[in-house]
Amino acid sequence: MSRKAIFGAAIPIVAILLATASFVVFEPIQVLPRIRLAPGFSLIDQHGESLTSEDLRGSVTLYTFGYSRCGAPCDRLNATVSEIMDRLDEVDMDPETEIRFVTISFDPDTDTPERLDAYAEEIGADGDRWVLATARPGHVENVVKAGFKTWFERRDDGTFSYDPALVLVDGWGVVRGEYRYQTQTSDADRIVRHLDVLAEEIRNAHGAAALAYEAAHLFLCYP
Amino acid sequence: MDITASTPQTPDTGARWRKRLRIGVVALVVLAVGVYGARTVLARARPYVFHGSVIQSTEKAPQVSLQSGDGPVSLADFAGEVVVLYFGYTFCPDVCPTTLAKMARAMDLLGDRSDEVNVVMISVDPERDTPEIVSEYVRHFDPRFIGVTGPPEVIDRVATVYGVYYEKAEGSAATGYLVNHTATLMVIDREGYLKVVLPFEGTAEEIAADIEYLLEH
Repeated sequence: MSRKAIFGAAIPIVAILLATASFVVFEPIQVLPRIRLAPGFSLIDQHGESLTSEDLRGSVTLYTFGYSRCGAPCDRLNATVSEIMDRLDEVDMDPETEIRFVTISFDPDTDTPERLDAYAEEIGADGDRWVLATARPGHVENVVKAGFKTWFERRDDGTFSYDPALVLVDGWGVVRGEYRYQTQTSDADRIVRHLDVLAEEIRNAHGAAALAYEAAHLFLCYP
Repeated sequence: MDITASTPQTPDTGARWRKRLRIGVVALVVLAVGVYGARTVLARARPYVFHGSVIQSTEKAPQVSLQSGDGPVSLADFAGEVVVLYFGYTFCPDVCPTTLAKMARAMDLLGDRSDEVNVVMISVDPERDTPEIVSEYVRHFDPRFIGVTGPPEVIDRVATVYGVYYEKAEGSAATGYLVNHTATLMVIDREGYLKVVLPFEGTAEEIAADIEYLLEH
């Protein structure tokens, strides 16, 4: 009788401890790391319009880097972006949060808005969800190299060697993912999965975190 | 058992009830200790919630080396102390004065602890803001505030890596041109890591709370 009672009292306690331990061990809530601050920037897009980091605050954005004369070497990267765009129905994103794709050209001398627009058509960038843009020469170096921590270098023949990276930035302007190597799972698979993890985090955002989305315009010093 | 066992008067039944009571008390005490323990552990494990975007970078905050009215200023000068960076400009009509006033109030709230906090405003208008102008401007809000600027290409790099967008915009004849810019506060901890980016909307109390946490941990 007394033994039964002790068991009766012990079972719920053991259950609580086990649940806590399993939570710590298995981490059922998956969160992407907050790798670093994404750069602030002011670009000119394929329509000749300004595109700034503040315009993208509140949206989840996947950045890639390239240039219109790139040709075949950029194909795989562009195909990855296209594949992710086609699979966005797998991501349960809050309807208020847009998923955007921005390809930054590090060849501003050649890539005028007209050239970017023509290149966009070639690779299937619609100019709305997926935008091509560049910046004035000094700024583009700061954004791509110092800001996004990737690299490019002009070769003697005018082509570029560059880092085929994809960088995922959340609506608060924080880098949440960097993708460089094709592993067993493709980059597209991983990125789609990570977008879904981010979507869950955004749905659960509250307090100051939610404020960053709601009051994005207040971050600016308006006249 | 015989029928007398069910009558409460017998000493046998009294002993059994005492035993049940003892078990009950032991179970309650175990449960209370367990709940109290779990709550204590969970409260310790629950992380402090900052009032802005948390950064968990493994790299130290990007280096800043610029000029104030009193000479060169670098992040390395503040090793072991907390630094708050703000990007603004002295012609700024509303956001910058509001933010700096709020920051000054947060320093007051921190009391003596504010001695270990360095507030640095970096000008995003290097054409008009000389080191002297920007230093004098920030001292109006708190004599300890530091104002710095530098060559436009250096400012562009520093602002970019700190996630700050800025661009000239048209103003009136009275104000001259304006500069749109990201109006966040970047808080760097004692070890030189950028820890949290506070939004413009935050209150002085929230800013002070986050800084206090970083001073203690």
